Amino acid sequence: MDAVKPLGKTLVASPDRQQEADSDIAIVRQVQAGDVAGFDQLVLKYRERVYGIVYHLTSNREDAADLTQDAFIKAFQSINRFQGQSSFFTWLYRIAVNSTLTHLRKHRLRTFFSFERMDEHDAPSAEVIAALTDATGADRETFAHELQEKLNEAMQKLSIKHRTVITLFEIDGLSHQEIADVMDCSVGTVRSRLHYAKQLLQSELQPYIRR
Amino acid sequence: MNQKKTTVTLEDLLKVKRAERPAAGFWAGFEREMRVKELAAIVEPRPWWAPLIRVGARVTRYQLPVGAAAILALSIVTVREYRTSEMSPAYAPELSASAAKLESSLALAAAPAPAKLETPRPAANQLASEPASESTTVTPAQSAIGQRSHAIALLDAAAAIREPTPSARYIAANLAAVEAADPRMIDNVFGPSVRGVETREPVRDPLAQISTPGDSRRARLLTTSLPVMATAVSVGSSDRVARRLTEERLYDTITRIGLKGDRVAIKF
Repeated sequence: MDAVKPLGKTLVASPDRQQEADSDIAIVRQVQAGDVAGFDQLVLKYRERVYGIVYHLTSNREDAADLTQDAFIKAFQSINRFQGQSSFFTWLYRIAVNSTLTHLRKHRLRTFFSFERMDEHDAPSAEVIAALTDATGADRETFAHELQEKLNEAMQKLSIKHRTVITLFEIDGLSHQEIADVMDCSVGTVRSRLHYAKQLLQSELQPYIRR
Repeated sequence: MNQKKTTVTLEDLLKVKRAERPAAGFWAGFEREMRVKELAAIVEPRPWWAPLIRVGARVTRYQLPVGAAAILALSIVTVREYRTSEMSPAYAPELSASAAKLESSLALAAAPAPAKLETPRPAANQLASEPASESTTVTPAQSAIGQRSHAIALLDAAAAIREPTPSARYIAANLAAVEAADPRMIDNVFGPSVRGVETREPVRDPLAQISTPGDSRRARLLTTSLPVMATAVSVGSSDRVARRLTEERLYDTITRIGLKGDRVAIKF
């Protein structure tokens, strides 16, 4: 059912997203009309989300910063070709993901990790770390570092497509349809890739999973 | 209220990954770099082939129909060109007149007849005015189309024999024009065999071609001293000098002459 829905409607299913998309379109029209400063609003609005997806795909903060900037520059250069068939956010995401995938394919053999610091005030992650350290009695900070490394290693063992799907779904919280639109594939393909990626990650992170 | 989490799933572990965020100071540097890149992108002109890549990417979606259309268009153009070159206007009227004759003769041939009938003489034979001594006999089973194609082939051959080709006519016209402008040029370039008998030079007396010792001495002296400017030598000696004069020597003598302003300097 989802697959036959038109692109523009599926991406803005919820009222909040619809409102957000409408405001984005208005800003984009301003930029297209010549008000270049309006693009800064879009950069401020989406830079963290775009950086997040690129960082989780590359596991390298320097590469992520460069690729995020490149994605915004590309979007700025091509803003006149944006026709509003999808939301601006999806369009920008597609640019960022495609740039990142191109970069990853080009540097497939070169993998350098450069991690961001974990937010200590993030409640869900603190809860998970507490649950794991209480059982083992390990130092929380040391354990958090170790877990971060293992998580990133496991992610990098996935293929680029599987990594993209799991990042967009589990970390960025996009729906199946949104991921299908960003990755230009069917919803079934997204579900299949997600299932396979989860299986691989579970086998890699088995020592940290408590049932 | 303060219940501790006991189970940890894969989704929970991925929440930990979600907590990896850049510090607040990171965005200041990000914005600065972004500004620099924006300016560079505005200043840098996009290459002229950048739009072609986009067009190419769009076209690749329709590879099959575009390729098929291109092949079809090419074949149509080729066939049309081939036909127009084959049916040149010089032959068209003649062929149409001959074809009318053939039509009438073939209509007779195609008409129902007894087991053996005498066909009229082929039109090509008529045109070539050969004696029609033999008459071929055909059975009704032979089709009129076969006869027609055979006759057209003969007609083409006869026309080709009688009429010069367009290229031959073109070359002849060019030669005539060159000959009118400078009659000696054709002899010099192609030799006397190209021209007709009437254009050949009359045979000269052999004794008249022999130059006197004085002439030859004068020519030798002039050749060594002023080889390029020695235009007053006799025809016989200049031919010999021209044969002796190699390209290297000619080039060497040319470089000895220098032109500066209103002066001509000659180096010996």
